[in-house]
Amino acid sequence: MRAMFHDWPGLALKSFYWLFVLYLFLPLSLMVAVSFKDASFISFPLGNLTIDWYAKVIQDKQFLDACLYTIMIAAATTAIATVIGVWIAMLIGSLRGAAQYVAFAVACLPAVVPGMISAISLRIFITTIDLPTGTVAIILGHVVHAVPFVVVMVLTRLRSMPGNLVDAARDLGADSIVTFFRVTLPYLGPAIFGGMIFCLLLSSDDFVRTFFLGGYRPTLPMLIFARVQSGMSPEINVMATLVLVVTAVVGLYAEYLTRRSRIR
Amino acid sequence: MAVGTHTAGGGLPVRAAHMKYSTGVARVIHSPLYRYTLGAVAEWRYGRILLLAGVPVVWMLMMHIGPIYEMLRISLLSSYPPQPGVEAEFTFDNYALFFSEKLYWMPLLRSFIYASVATAVTLVVVYPVAYYVAKVVATGNRSRALLLLLAPFWAGEIIRIFSVIMLLANRGAVNVLLREIGLTERPIQMLYTSFSISFGLVYMVCLYMLLPLYSAIEKIPKSLLDASADLGAGPFTRFRRIILPLSRDGIVSGCSLVFLTCMGVFAAPILLGGPTTSMFSETISSFFHGASSRWPAGAAFAMIMLAASLVTVGLFMRVVGGSKQRTF
Repeated sequence: MRAMFHDWPGLALKSFYWLFVLYLFLPLSLMVAVSFKDASFISFPLGNLTIDWYAKVIQDKQFLDACLYTIMIAAATTAIATVIGVWIAMLIGSLRGAAQYVAFAVACLPAVVPGMISAISLRIFITTIDLPTGTVAIILGHVVHAVPFVVVMVLTRLRSMPGNLVDAARDLGADSIVTFFRVTLPYLGPAIFGGMIFCLLLSSDDFVRTFFLGGYRPTLPMLIFARVQSGMSPEINVMATLVLVVTAVVGLYAEYLTRRSRIR
Repeated sequence: MAVGTHTAGGGLPVRAAHMKYSTGVARVIHSPLYRYTLGAVAEWRYGRILLLAGVPVVWMLMMHIGPIYEMLRISLLSSYPPQPGVEAEFTFDNYALFFSEKLYWMPLLRSFIYASVATAVTLVVVYPVAYYVAKVVATGNRSRALLLLLAPFWAGEIIRIFSVIMLLANRGAVNVLLREIGLTERPIQMLYTSFSISFGLVYMVCLYMLLPLYSAIEKIPKSLLDASADLGAGPFTRFRRIILPLSRDGIVSGCSLVFLTCMGVFAAPILLGGPTTSMFSETISSFFHGASSRWPAGAAFAMIMLAASLVTVGLFMRVVGGSKQRTF
């Protein structure tokens, strides 16, 4: 009893932490709950439960098409952003002094510029280079947004790399390209993997860039946005719940893999 | 017997040679095609620099600086996209337009206030949580405690905004609960007000505060806290004199990130706000849609917003970030 009283700040912090977790999860849980509601409008209490909305949504052509399109864009974004991000990180890692500082600042610029401004500037930019709005423009916008995150993650890992690994490879006769692919790249592996998962999530979640760069084919966030604007229905909850489950599985799996590699 | 097959000679060297060539990379490296092209470039000093810097420099100049530069250039033109017969002229009119009408500068002020309030609230709410995870939770459970806070953010912007509607709508969870316990008879209008926008903003961005704060607080050595406790400092003094000053970097980068994100939100005010709460993002986007699209004005407004947000963050960093002196 006395020990408990003595540790009141710890206890207060602990309850505050759990309150905060509740705050984070409550809206999402409510959203999932409403997806089972047996009525066509959103309200509480739930009343009877049904899975009819799920049956309806998985037959919804527009939804399935949006899923495919989102996955395609996310995959392309991840592939391109990872290559460019690692490349930029290698360059920054090899620079010294002011040059390194400037290169790092420019590399991080797209992550610092507010989303709306980034979207507008890209919209203007693709008009200048005569690129029509649509798939390519969306991928370009997502890659620009994702690259800084890959750079930061890879650079952190690169800085922890013992320099003698590269020296040893060079002494043994490998040229710089071979050294990169056989020594540096495997060492960066976990950071690259983390960066790729981050790219996938960033791209599939992005709304504002897709909104300004996209054509008529909606990605999932755009589809949900349009449906919310045109009127609420538990169908939206079902879509959001399905997306939530998939991203949670991807996130947890990535987390599990990185933790396993860290233990090894 | 054919040279190079591993049965030849039966000795170790041949086996070793075979092993060496058995990986894809080795086969590529030793092919003449590689040796006379990329390999030759890699041997040449300037070739190495070109390999390392070529793509990154071109990419960063074109895609990181290019769009912002283009936006600046367009914002100083009288018309864009180019139309046949119309000569675009250099002008400052687009910037003057912003100051000419309350309809234009009011939303920027509003965005500014929302972003500041959301930043302050997020800091106050998230700080204890970050501290708890970084210093109170046992090391072994730390990543699990952090994961529980990160997981909801995988859901994405639109879904998180949508879930806030579940909570705050007139027939949403909060209003129904209030009515059930008899506190209100009629639902309180929470959605489509400035309350729902602020609530949604905080809900959207608290992760950007959590991570910098967590990594800053985690770095504070526990021995400092123990030493000050031994010297008789109470929890409040320890917080004010040790933890707060040493987590300053985290506070600065967390606040900057949250503020910049809040300034740039687009979907949240559209879905959670009403006609009287429109933010600057909506003003900017209105220049790019519809028949009367006036891109240069939109570009100028976006430049104003960019400058305003960056100047604010810069000032904030100067004032709060203070001197970079460290005692250890």
